[in-house]
Amino acid sequence: MIATGGRRLLAAINPAAAAAGLAPGMPLADALSFLPGLVTAPADPAADSAALTRLAEWCGRYSPWTAPDLQTGGDDNGVKIEITGSSHLWGGETALAADLARRLALQGIAHRIAIAGTLGAAWALARYAAADAQPALPAPQDERAALAPLPVEALRLDPLTVQGLRRVGLRQVGEIYPMPRDALARRFGDSVASRLDQAFGDLPEPLSPLGETPSRRVRLSFAEPIADPADLARAIARLVEDLTTRLAREGVGARRLDLGFHRIDGRVEHIRIGTARPSRDPRHLAGLFTAKLDTVDPGLGIEDMILAVFAVEKLPPEQAEFVAGSPEAAAHDIAPLLDRLGAHLGLDAISRIEPRQSHIPERASICVPVEEKQSSKLSVIPGRRVAANPGMTSGEFAGNGRKPLRPVRLFRPPEPVEASWLVPDNPPIQFTWRRRLHRVARADGPERIAEEWWTEEGFGEADAIRDYYRVEDSEGRRFWLFRAGLAHSDPPPRWFVHGLFA
Amino acid sequence: MSFSHAIRPRLPAGMPRPASLAALRDRIRQIELPLRHGVLPFGVPAIDDALPGGGLARGAVHEILGAGGDEEDGAAAAGFAAAILARIGSSPMPTSSSHRCAMGPSLSPLKGGEGKPGRLVIPLSALGGGEGRGEVGDSRALGTGPVLWCLKRPDLYGPGLMAHGLDPARLVLVSASRDDAILWAMEEGLRTPGLAAVVGEIGRLSMVAGRRLQLAAERSGVTAFVLRRWRNGEEAAAERERPSAALTRWRVTSLPSRDELRLRNDPKLQHLVGRPRWRVELLRCRGGVPAQWVVEVADATGHVCLSAELADRPAAAPKQKMGRREADRFDAEPGQRRAG
Repeated sequence: MIATGGRRLLAAINPAAAAAGLAPGMPLADALSFLPGLVTAPADPAADSAALTRLAEWCGRYSPWTAPDLQTGGDDNGVKIEITGSSHLWGGETALAADLARRLALQGIAHRIAIAGTLGAAWALARYAAADAQPALPAPQDERAALAPLPVEALRLDPLTVQGLRRVGLRQVGEIYPMPRDALARRFGDSVASRLDQAFGDLPEPLSPLGETPSRRVRLSFAEPIADPADLARAIARLVEDLTTRLAREGVGARRLDLGFHRIDGRVEHIRIGTARPSRDPRHLAGLFTAKLDTVDPGLGIEDMILAVFAVEKLPPEQAEFVAGSPEAAAHDIAPLLDRLGAHLGLDAISRIEPRQSHIPERASICVPVEEKQSSKLSVIPGRRVAANPGMTSGEFAGNGRKPLRPVRLFRPPEPVEASWLVPDNPPIQFTWRRRLHRVARADGPERIAEEWWTEEGFGEADAIRDYYRVEDSEGRRFWLFRAGLAHSDPPPRWFVHGLFA
Repeated sequence: MSFSHAIRPRLPAGMPRPASLAALRDRIRQIELPLRHGVLPFGVPAIDDALPGGGLARGAVHEILGAGGDEEDGAAAAGFAAAILARIGSSPMPTSSSHRCAMGPSLSPLKGGEGKPGRLVIPLSALGGGEGRGEVGDSRALGTGPVLWCLKRPDLYGPGLMAHGLDPARLVLVSASRDDAILWAMEEGLRTPGLAAVVGEIGRLSMVAGRRLQLAAERSGVTAFVLRRWRNGEEAAAERERPSAALTRWRVTSLPSRDELRLRNDPKLQHLVGRPRWRVELLRCRGGVPAQWVVEVADATGHVCLSAELADRPAAAPKQKMGRREADRFDAEPGQRRAG
């Protein structure tokens, strides 16, 4: 196993190589002189760290707080798991460690396990006290004693500091205990003392978990791994049932959920769903998960399922209070529909039309995802909303249309046409659109729409000025045409069909 | 049964036999069944008379076709659908709930708590309590329920819909790339009673797919509109004459606009676009007769009215009954002609 860096060095070794006297960091040439038959492979740190992250994710079955612990020295890699509050689910720390060891062994992962009151202590114990089949589980009051015989490296110090400590004869952690703190700090900086404090919990050291930590979690383990979709669906129903009872008790509804399927081979498959409004309807939520069940590859079987909620919103117990037919009830009724559609087609497939403060046609009405609720409204200047939508008030249109008319269909981008017209600003006489010639019978216009020079994004140079015409061809179809550019400009103006009137 | 045995021989010769009676009842039920969710009148007697029940059946599937080049884009079809949707609320029956819809702050679920810009909601109580609130709520107050509009090309334009009376804030757009995804989304929508209507822009519609939509619509009372949009002439030719399970099939054609009086007299204004018009054809209607009308394009309240001018009427005149009605309308005062 080799790392290349000008010279070729050993990055990591297996136990047999270690027994032969090799060590990580040793030049390959030296190693080969020890062991001529050494089998090597190029190191792939990216794959290593990905594998470690996957392992950390798998450890999510023990606690939501897990994180890969990537060290520069390959052998020191590990996974941190915060089991405070979750070890009782496994019948105590010893049982948890035993379960973890058994499952890791099943996956063929060499491991050393330690459980301690602090991250620092557990780190030290796992690397310097635990043996392969012997997890280090000192009682809380024994942790100090358990750390004492370990080498000073166990304190997670940088190599230079370790060297310095060794030079003054401090080889074991226990030998540092009686040292005066200020002398240590003067000589080696704050790191020694602070690492020591972290190991004993005098200095807090929070674990930054892998990804986001869910606010609520429900777990279901199976005695026998399951793979049948029907079984999985039943399990989903049960998990969701558990979760929703809890949500109902707290008066909240879920917005974002993640269902993790822990496979027996250590991989974790996920179904993630979002809801348009907070929900705790078990049938609805279970339906969303079940609909996506075919994206989950159960492999050889699934031994654990963990349903986690990442975002909740207040949802008072009101369902029945909605009056049938009221707009609130309608909104309430269609939320599950939006979730179903979103789960199937993707949330970005669902949008709504929102008016905007712009006289540029394509910007006056835009599609926004249903997800982002009223946030986009902020861009509309309050009190000017009517002005923001030219011709959009029902009253204006009822009459003879003082405001310019707008088409029912708008092409984005506008479709170029070949048109013949009289300069400077007559409507076209005829135009060819989609390979068909249209003779213009009647036309209104022009309505000039110029670039919004006060905004960053304009039409672009050539299209800075558009003259719009409402044109009726000899058959009676009505088009919204525009000419980009002025009559004698260079390049010559171009014509586009931008929309169709009903 | 011995009783029926005894009676059957004594039936007069002209009486229908029980078996055919049952068939007749079935037929009546077939006609009446689609109407159990109520109807949405156009407010134009000529059109409403041609439809069983006096209007467009709710909780049913209606097909709307474009014509000529518009078969591809469905602009006129979209305008026509918008006009109908403008008048369709979320409540399937003209009951007190429609009253509440018009009374309350006109909310749309996706817009949140604010009223619509520029929309004046007149409490129905202001119109006089006894004035058949159901009917008024139905035909005059604009609809408020959300509309699911499933489409392949995102070319629907909000301000243009507004011009035909449909508040774009009521729309939930679903874009999908394939017909079957659109059909699926429509069917899901039709199972949701909170929706006012479901619109789908579809190229191919098989009998089975149409039937599924129809069943879902009947069950929930949500009305479905299938806007047929064909990619090219070939697809149009293949699909145009295909029967479907829809209750009605309409074709909407943009007609040259009618010159208004002021345009006709002033040579300078002659080339301006006048009042836009549609030819609305009822091609197929279960329990009704095919017919066609020339109407003025729906206004911002979603109402259409018969065009006053008959000059552009096609040579193949519709049913005589229609012709008479149009003549009746023509004689009427222009002010009264506007329906709704």
